[in-house]
Amino acid sequence: MELDVRATHTELINRPSQLRLNWYRFRKNPLTLIGGIVLLLFIIIAVAAPLLTPYEPEVINMENRLAPPSMSHWFGTDEVGRDVLTRIIYGARLSLGMGITVVVIAGLIGTIIGAFAGYMGGKFGQIIMRIMDVILAFPTLVLAMALTAALGPSLINAMLAIAIVKIPAFVRLARSEALVVREQLFVKASKTFGLSDIWIIFRHIIPNVITPVIIQVSIDLGDAIMLIATLGFLGLGAQPPIPEWGTMVHTGWEFFMEQWWYATFPGIAIFLATVSFNLLGDGLRDVLDPKSIR
Amino acid sequence: MLKVIKDRMIMLVFVVFGVSLITFLISNVIPGDPARMIVGQRASQETYQSIREQLGLNDPLIIQYFNYVKGLFTGDLGTSIRTQQPVLEDILSYLPATLELIIIAFMIAIFFGMIIGVFTGIYNNTMIDYIGRIFSISGVSTPIFLSGLIVIIIFYGQLDWLPSSGRLDLTMARPPTVTGFYTVDSLMVGNLETFRNAVSHIFLPALILSYVLLSTVTRQVRSSMIDVLNKEYIRTANANGLSKWTVNVRYALRNSLIPTITVIGVSFGSLLGGAVVTEIVFNWPGMGKYVVDSIGSLDFPAIMGFTIVIAIGYVLINLIVDLLYIFLDPQIRE
Amino acid sequence: MNKRLLIMIMSLLFVLVACNSTAGTEDDGKSSDSNTLNVSIVEDAGTLDPGVSMDNSAWKITYNAYERLVQYDGEKTTVKPSLAKDWEISDDGKTYTFFLEEGHKFADGSEVDAEAVKFSFDRTLAIEKGPSSLYNIINETRVVDPYTVEFQLENEFPPFISTLAANYGSIINPKVMDHEEDADYGQNYLASNTMGSGPYMLEEYQKSQYYKLALNPNHPLDPELKTVYFQISSDTSGARMRLEKGEIDILEGLPVDQFSEVESVDGVKVLQSPSLAVEYVYMNIGKGNEVLKNKMFRQAISYAVDYQSFIDEIMAGYGTQFRGPVPEGLWGHNPDAFMYSRDLNKAKELLEESGVSDDVTLDLLYSDNNSQWEELALLLQNNLGEIGINVELTKVAYATMREQLDVGEFDLSLGVWSPDYADPYMFMNYWFDSDNWGLAGNRSFYENPEVDKLIREAASISDQEERIALYKEAQEIIVEDAAYVYLAQKDSMIPMREDVQGYVFNPMLEGIYNLADMSK
Repeated sequence: MELDVRATHTELINRPSQLRLNWYRFRKNPLTLIGGIVLLLFIIIAVAAPLLTPYEPEVINMENRLAPPSMSHWFGTDEVGRDVLTRIIYGARLSLGMGITVVVIAGLIGTIIGAFAGYMGGKFGQIIMRIMDVILAFPTLVLAMALTAALGPSLINAMLAIAIVKIPAFVRLARSEALVVREQLFVKASKTFGLSDIWIIFRHIIPNVITPVIIQVSIDLGDAIMLIATLGFLGLGAQPPIPEWGTMVHTGWEFFMEQWWYATFPGIAIFLATVSFNLLGDGLRDVLDPKSIR
Repeated sequence: MLKVIKDRMIMLVFVVFGVSLITFLISNVIPGDPARMIVGQRASQETYQSIREQLGLNDPLIIQYFNYVKGLFTGDLGTSIRTQQPVLEDILSYLPATLELIIIAFMIAIFFGMIIGVFTGIYNNTMIDYIGRIFSISGVSTPIFLSGLIVIIIFYGQLDWLPSSGRLDLTMARPPTVTGFYTVDSLMVGNLETFRNAVSHIFLPALILSYVLLSTVTRQVRSSMIDVLNKEYIRTANANGLSKWTVNVRYALRNSLIPTITVIGVSFGSLLGGAVVTEIVFNWPGMGKYVVDSIGSLDFPAIMGFTIVIAIGYVLINLIVDLLYIFLDPQIRE
Repeated sequence: MNKRLLIMIMSLLFVLVACNSTAGTEDDGKSSDSNTLNVSIVEDAGTLDPGVSMDNSAWKITYNAYERLVQYDGEKTTVKPSLAKDWEISDDGKTYTFFLEEGHKFADGSEVDAEAVKFSFDRTLAIEKGPSSLYNIINETRVVDPYTVEFQLENEFPPFISTLAANYGSIINPKVMDHEEDADYGQNYLASNTMGSGPYMLEEYQKSQYYKLALNPNHPLDPELKTVYFQISSDTSGARMRLEKGEIDILEGLPVDQFSEVESVDGVKVLQSPSLAVEYVYMNIGKGNEVLKNKMFRQAISYAVDYQSFIDEIMAGYGTQFRGPVPEGLWGHNPDAFMYSRDLNKAKELLEESGVSDDVTLDLLYSDNNSQWEELALLLQNNLGEIGINVELTKVAYATMREQLDVGEFDLSLGVWSPDYADPYMFMNYWFDSDNWGLAGNRSFYENPEVDKLIREAASISDQEERIALYKEAQEIIVEDAAYVYLAQKDSMIPMREDVQGYVFNPMLEGIYNLADMSK
């Protein structure tokens, strides 16, 4: 019942109380809250990394390799004697930082391309969409693998590959919104005033697609982190000695039968980060998109 | 209907052309000469040159691409560098294993996704909802390479209930190939023992792969459920004395069908990514393992062939989704 | 409706799986009967054609399916008769005459005669793939009579006899031409079939699943193992569990850290034998960073490396430090050769003397196909860091690595090498001859005219003592020049079930099983 009320009144509510309502909805959903809190923790950990651990993430210590979890090494050590917890903590910087960068960049590029494609329409729009079809037809992981194989495995190339894969979703989103907006009166009016197309796109079209784009970004974040980890697991992501969770699982996997801690803890970190992003994404969708209150 | 098919066919041409061009270009940027792989590491320069000649690698790129596309029309995807077999032959021999895995995973995901979706929808914003959603979201968030290994250790290593790798026991004769799905083929010839064995092999990998899909299905079903529950006609139906269950399930499931199918069509690509990792963990002899091995040895004819086959598959699946859409739509409106 | 169907299918699945759990134990019994051997291998072998393959994993399968003119003698690196009962070498070392033993038959029953021998070598040369570059030295193969065959070599090449014991020396049934497609000499067919006279033949190949060997009905021996499966499993954790349960008998590809654990399992043994495979580091003198041209700089690197940690920790003790460029166990090895050891002070002194500026960064190339390379790379990065040399790690796909090695696009690179045939030529001439720059063997792009002269002379005479003396002289210069960092000689480690009997390890046949003599 309560849902109906929200949906019908959303339009009437003025801005400040809209914010408050959003915050209320956000807070009211415990899952979103949990996701948010865990993410906040991860971000704090990432920022404060050097303060949280006495060890260096990349300094090796052969005498102390593959030591089980203990008071001095809570999560044990890896195959060259580095503290696993330390590497997970520093890895948070990387996985979160990279994940967010990739998706935000893909979102920006995709939105702009999509807005142009939608606003211009015609042949130009058609061609753009065909290109997007081609990218969509590539299996995500395979495109990423092919690209990293081509350009050499490195974190930057893995990021590039994931960004390319993520672009079409944003293009489609922005284009469909732009198709609607360009028919509206104020856009047509702007045109008759002789304002440039670029100005119209950035002034009128893009602000109108921001909400669905933000939702899409939050949904894609979890997926991006998982993809970075999967590429790492396949040996195509971050290069040693950089601490990256997927790469850690990749190396630790081989030791799993005896040294379970090595692959397990980074695996749990991937799990927690991805779950939180997904929960947060779900929650944001509920809050920002009244059409799909779910 | 015809227009949909026509549109998709045009898309197919674009996609195959685009995909082949991109992979072809990528394959030529890579420092990793196929001739070098064939010739072995201690061969002389003349031998190496003669192999380059044999492979046509000394031709200009544009000619090489033209020859490749020409081959495509006759179903010739080139020869794999790693296996020295025609790529198409290789792919066709791996394809059924992957399809079988994906289809069964889909079935499991849809089954459980519907149950969880219905419950979380009905009990929206209660403990049941939270637990159900956390459970399904955990699926996309669990790295397969870890969950896979853990179930192997439990169900094979400790309990010894299920085998850990392959499609059939070695001693088990392969069923005659009709569909290439061991589960189906063995039933066709009425060999229950082989069927049981095939099922026991596919069970764990399919379960793990299905867990990744679960949240997609759950999300769709759950939202349809909530929608339906809030709609007027449900209240009417309730007033008419139909049991709550019949109403919920029938309307909500039917309504969630279209979005679920659409999402499945779109997520085909990412599902394949999941299948790649699953196949590696469970030693499943499918295309995922084939392509990972091919990438490892920069076997570009194989990688290109694989990508093109997948791209065609993607277009066809989306065509089927479109057709299903048309087929299902009138039912929804009634 | 949809749902009802699904429920039915699902419940069916559950029931059947439940049923199977009880049936499982019976199946295990079947696969471990005493006539069947199960070997777990890591990957598909690629083409099995002996005229094409240069790959050791293919030899695993073909070794028992083909016979060669000569074969390695038990554990020794010398050859003994096989298809040939005897042979003669002319005084100028250019004519080899082989007398075939009668009665050897291919799997289809046809006789192995001189024509078949000639066919096999002519075929390899006509195909012009990897193995042909070895046999380009053959001017002519001549059938003298049905059981006598003669090779005319272009020039004297003492290792020739040894190459005949390798995979590419396999004698192929000329009837393979019945399977020819597009003038490919049957390459497509032989890629996944065998046509030899060995005690076994490939009966079935399921891609990415297994190779199944069965007995060659026409072979005089009647081995105890009637069926051999080479199961492909890239996941060593799962394969290890199967070994512990007795579902497989021999396990390949287990990471070194797990040998001691696996050995403690009941019913499992780990066979340890010194091998001829060596780990070393290429220092790109010819085409890499200019500082590597400096001999003292290279020596400094050789002194900085922590050999002991590498062997004790990363190799888990299953190896020894590699002394000189020819490994122990092969003739031509010099037990008195100088061996670098870790000495940071000396390394720093040499670095100082070399006059190389402080701020040097070298890249270190390696690939992901060797599981210990990552640890080794990290160790080297750390070791060189201690004397102030920065190292950047470059991990690439194996195919890319080979390309970069060939063109010389690296400063330092990790490497392994194992000989194809039992002759110090495999090390001395491949590694140091300036004609072999690149992937061919001289991967440090090393050039020393004096060394070139010595090793070329050693390769052109047949007297073993004289050759040893020449190689020894060259070795002294080479070690002083520090062209490579000689890390370790590996031990071959094979975990197998305790009841597997009769396996003989030959360092020239690493990862290859003398199935006909084995039992369990």
